[in-house]
Amino acid sequence: MKFKDYYETFGLPRSATQDEIKRAYRKLARKYHPDVSKDPEAEARFKELGEAYAVLKDPEKRAAYDQMGSQWKSGQDFQPPPDWNAGFEFSGRDFGAGDGVDHSDFFEALFGRQARGTQRAGMHARGEDHHAKVLIDLEDAYRGAQRSISLRVSEVDAQGHIALRERRLDISIPKGIRAGQHLRLAGQGEPGLGEGSAGDLYLEIGFNPHPQFRIDDRDVYLDLPLAPWEAALGCSLAVATPDGSVQLTVPAGTAAGKSLRLKGKGIPGNPPGDLYVVPKVVLPPATSESEKDAYRAMAGAFDFNARDPMKS
Amino acid sequence: MTNTYMQLIRGTIVEEEIHLTLEELCQACRASEEHVMAWVTEGVLEPIGDAPQEWRFTGPALRRARLALWLARDLEINPPGVALALDLIDEIAALRAQLQRNGVR
Repeated sequence: MKFKDYYETFGLPRSATQDEIKRAYRKLARKYHPDVSKDPEAEARFKELGEAYAVLKDPEKRAAYDQMGSQWKSGQDFQPPPDWNAGFEFSGRDFGAGDGVDHSDFFEALFGRQARGTQRAGMHARGEDHHAKVLIDLEDAYRGAQRSISLRVSEVDAQGHIALRERRLDISIPKGIRAGQHLRLAGQGEPGLGEGSAGDLYLEIGFNPHPQFRIDDRDVYLDLPLAPWEAALGCSLAVATPDGSVQLTVPAGTAAGKSLRLKGKGIPGNPPGDLYVVPKVVLPPATSESEKDAYRAMAGAFDFNARDPMKS
Repeated sequence: MTNTYMQLIRGTIVEEEIHLTLEELCQACRASEEHVMAWVTEGVLEPIGDAPQEWRFTGPALRRARLALWLARDLEINPPGVALALDLIDEIAALRAQLQRNGVR
């Protein structure tokens, strides 16, 4: 496993005060919170920040981390020294866990659930609920799908070493699910202690970006490029929707930006969403003489001034 | 690392099929009941039902409560501040959705 320099995460020296750590965390966490930031790296950065903060904000954990010495550099191969945390007592059931997110194997080895010490006999508690994010394709929401997701869980082997295990879950994505919704998988969270029941796993659904379709809740938008004469005279075209190809009648006099609604062709559900086809009129370049003649003929035929709206 | 294969698991869509009780919401987002009650008072969360024992939270409350907890715990924002921050975050999300609808990425 690789060593993680939690001070480097915040750009702080090891001598930083608790206040400086708190300020640095807040500043960066505000910037990278996935609900606030549009940066595609935001989620990963935010997780790193949370993990580093979980260690450094707690004076006991910070002291234990510090005593491993400053000779370690980020990314170096690392094994925790035996009894590395001897003399430090970590308390609290939520210790280290933060938010049920998958922390790095480095964190898990040092501060993970199993590193909290042996469980007292006769202790019962429900396992914690876990949260994870799953990206699916738009087509999956139209048809339903099966997805395999990998979650990382730490466990102790027979020798008492902590190992990260990949836990694969095959889940069924119900038809009609939308971005931002959550799937609850009962009993798939953290195992309970003693006779306590297991926690649940919550999966937040998001869509992979699609080159053609834009999604807004249950409605889907599609840009449809049209030649000026197709928009003006009307036409009938085959248009690919997430649900297969449909024959679309573009009425004569279709204006750019005025969308055509295909009722019920959005994400399925009760009620289903709509599919909006947004016409984009594309002007063909006039290069050959006959093409230029066509534009000249248009100029002659129309009593049209594109700048009429600018007149006061 | 070893792999474990499991059978196909069917989940329930929280937003459509489940109403969470106060206890379930607290368990799911690790917030205390005091926190959740303060957020309900401030209008951050709007459960169905009058008394806390009767409260039922719908799916969007899950995301809002997790965000509210982060704002309260890590940024030490008080409940009225949490309510304001969430309103603004919602507004930004709505504006971004509008931009997206119009094809601005």
